[in-house]
Amino acid sequence: MTTDDQRDHRRYAHNGPALIRVEEVFRRYPTGVEALRGVSLIAHEGEVVCIIGPSGSGKSTLLRCVNGLEPIDRGRILFGDREVRGKGREARAIRQQIGMVFQSFELFPHMTALGNVGEGPRTVLRMAHAAVEARARALLDKVGLADKADALPLQLSGGQQQRVAIARALAMEPRAMLFDEATSALDPETVGEVLNVMQQLAREGMTMLVVTHEMGFARSVADWVVVMENGQVLEEGTPARIFGGPRLARTREFLQRVEHAPHDATVKPE
Amino acid sequence: MFHLPAFLDAFPALLSGLRVTIELTLLVMPCAVVVALLLALARLYAPRPIANLAMGWVELWRATPLLLQLYWLYYVMPSEFGILLPGFATVAFGLICNVSAFLSENFRAGIASIRAGQWHAGRALGMSEIQAFFRIVMPQAWSRVLPETASMWVELFKETSLVSTLAVADLTYRALALRTENYRTLEVLTALAVAYLVLAYPQAKFCDWLYRRQRVHE
Repeated sequence: MTTDDQRDHRRYAHNGPALIRVEEVFRRYPTGVEALRGVSLIAHEGEVVCIIGPSGSGKSTLLRCVNGLEPIDRGRILFGDREVRGKGREARAIRQQIGMVFQSFELFPHMTALGNVGEGPRTVLRMAHAAVEARARALLDKVGLADKADALPLQLSGGQQQRVAIARALAMEPRAMLFDEATSALDPETVGEVLNVMQQLAREGMTMLVVTHEMGFARSVADWVVVMENGQVLEEGTPARIFGGPRLARTREFLQRVEHAPHDATVKPE
Repeated sequence: MFHLPAFLDAFPALLSGLRVTIELTLLVMPCAVVVALLLALARLYAPRPIANLAMGWVELWRATPLLLQLYWLYYVMPSEFGILLPGFATVAFGLICNVSAFLSENFRAGIASIRAGQWHAGRALGMSEIQAFFRIVMPQAWSRVLPETASMWVELFKETSLVSTLAVADLTYRALALRTENYRTLEVLTALAVAYLVLAYPQAKFCDWLYRRQRVHE
């Protein structure tokens, strides 16, 4: 079934070349848990791919594998025409081109918002001070937080922190962005402002891999939806197909569960 | 009877000893911080055999009395190994080893307390592990271990008095020498206590301030 979907000709007609290609990836934790059991997926350039599924299905692990934060045991992950692999300079060069946004923001608490956004260009790209500051200010402005440049993360709301985190990732001018349940830890009233920023990025043509429990976002913004369960891809397809008529009973059950949960945005796994 | 002039006269005599005490503290503390950081990193990130070696070294210095350590270095090293260092260097070395062992445990806990997500966030930007450590992890760990490190400093300032037993002419040594000259035990030792108190009290207050500041921060 997976391969049928990947051959979906409409998808290939619409999109550019594959940017992220995950091929039969296995990942087993030292504890013995098999987080990924032969996962494959593709994100084409400019595409928003949403990964949905119950907690513990391996979605977050998959994201960490894509930018090499987590090693894989078998299979292959390609970014463009380069293989994502382990440590070292080459792995870092790929990671610079992939932005990542975390569920718990992970802003650097000892730096201001401006300092956080500038940290990548300053430390990794070794850009000059003035250029770093200009870029950081422009990005804070883009996420609507120009007036919070000097605030410390603790002084910001969850939604503001997450927008700073998005700006921080964008400061590396990445070719793709990974979102790991970016709104799951937020108060319901701040979820919208983060989703808006993500939607704007999607419109600008950013390639995005989005692990989310926000079915509304997946339905309206995703070009492609991947359903995962137990470390495997259950099924995948266009949002219209997945939400309109999932082929598998298990996908239907999962979708019914989350649609009936009143505030799935605030449900924190673990 | 308490003899005030003897008490007051003691202070000028203590001055030269004070210099040694301060020198010792100023030399030992920065060195101990660097060594402690290396030990903490070895225990956290080095391959197993090296990590275990570091742990053994730390436990050796933590689980034996400081006075014994100083005696051992002072008497055993020259006689058994032919290593003859000046008294000051010997006690400085011993104090660095001792203080760094305690500090390294503090540092290790501080570094380990920074959650993995912070490492991930740094590395996701493309940082090397060394960059992530120095830019992200260490500044946060440092502010967590600072109060403990500061109280270690005050502790060290007082503990240096042990070196007087090894003919290093610190504050305590001068006082004890003076006592054997004028037999004014009460006045001289009280003067010594006052000297330590006056010097250590502001440092201890500073530590309290660091603790309070940290609590507001978190």
